[in-house]
Amino acid sequence: MSAIEGVIESIASDITDATKTLFETMIMLDLKYDESSLVDETQIKTDVIGMVSFTGKYHGVIGLFCSKKFALKVASTMLMTELNEFTNDVKDAVGEISNMIAGNVKTKLTAQYGDMNLSIPIVIAGEGLSITAVNNHPVVADTTLSCFSKDPWLMTPFISVGEKFNVGLLLKESGK
Amino acid sequence: MPKVLIIDDSAVMRKIIQRNIQQSGLLVDEFVEAGDGREGLEKATANNIDLILCDWNMPNMTGIDFVKALRGSGQKSNIPIVMVTTEGGEAKIEEAKNSGANGYLTKPFTPDQLKSKLGNFLLVK
Repeated sequence: MSAIEGVIESIASDITDATKTLFETMIMLDLKYDESSLVDETQIKTDVIGMVSFTGKYHGVIGLFCSKKFALKVASTMLMTELNEFTNDVKDAVGEISNMIAGNVKTKLTAQYGDMNLSIPIVIAGEGLSITAVNNHPVVADTTLSCFSKDPWLMTPFISVGEKFNVGLLLKESGK
Repeated sequence: MPKVLIIDDSAVMRKIIQRNIQQSGLLVDEFVEAGDGREGLEKATANNIDLILCDWNMPNMTGIDFVKALRGSGQKSNIPIVMVTTEGGEAKIEEAKNSGANGYLTKPFTPDQLKSKLGNFLLVK
């Protein structure tokens, strides 16, 4: 196992722990999870992406990938009110979930690798949207967003309230 | 009765904090909200605020810059501030305290953890 693979494996465990803690404290929904794996396919299909980037000795992105249905359920739980429309509050909730997972992971990374900086969360949601990624592959999606990247994401799959979602990690050593 | 200023760029988080305080039995008369440190500074100086809860990572003015600005303003500079943030670790807590924060709570938190932290600054019914 290379050094970076060891770091990635360690962070995958941190992501699982951070997500479990979040669901036990502030979301209060059941949560099951499976082994993390590198998703070699360059295309990830989802409805909603909440992303937080970090910089330091290692830099990368932690992303929450989920369906609109899950986003509505989790936002409804957090706000203790039934939400049926994909409002700004739902996007805000997805951003905050991404932020809390990334913040916990960052704290552990900082303890091991020195100070790191965390971005403000970005939430992308929609239907029929297209995005162009770093390697300039054009992306056209019919009813879901597609996310392209040169590097594989380390994806940890979760299930809550019958809905699947993933927390993904893109990581690189800075200056390499 | 105490007036609490909640500074967080997430409206959802402001609502969660407010609800948790209301359900905790802590005595609060009014909540004032701000979406970043700059707005927080305006509202802290324009209102009779008794306690400030402040996030760290926010646009326009970060929480730590807000703490430094308020403490250095001379106006209302002694209002207790509790950081409520995803930023964890000893170094960040130390930085916040050295800048003038009076308390620190890491997100995510349970209602009991919030109550325990704010119980140092607010009375319970």
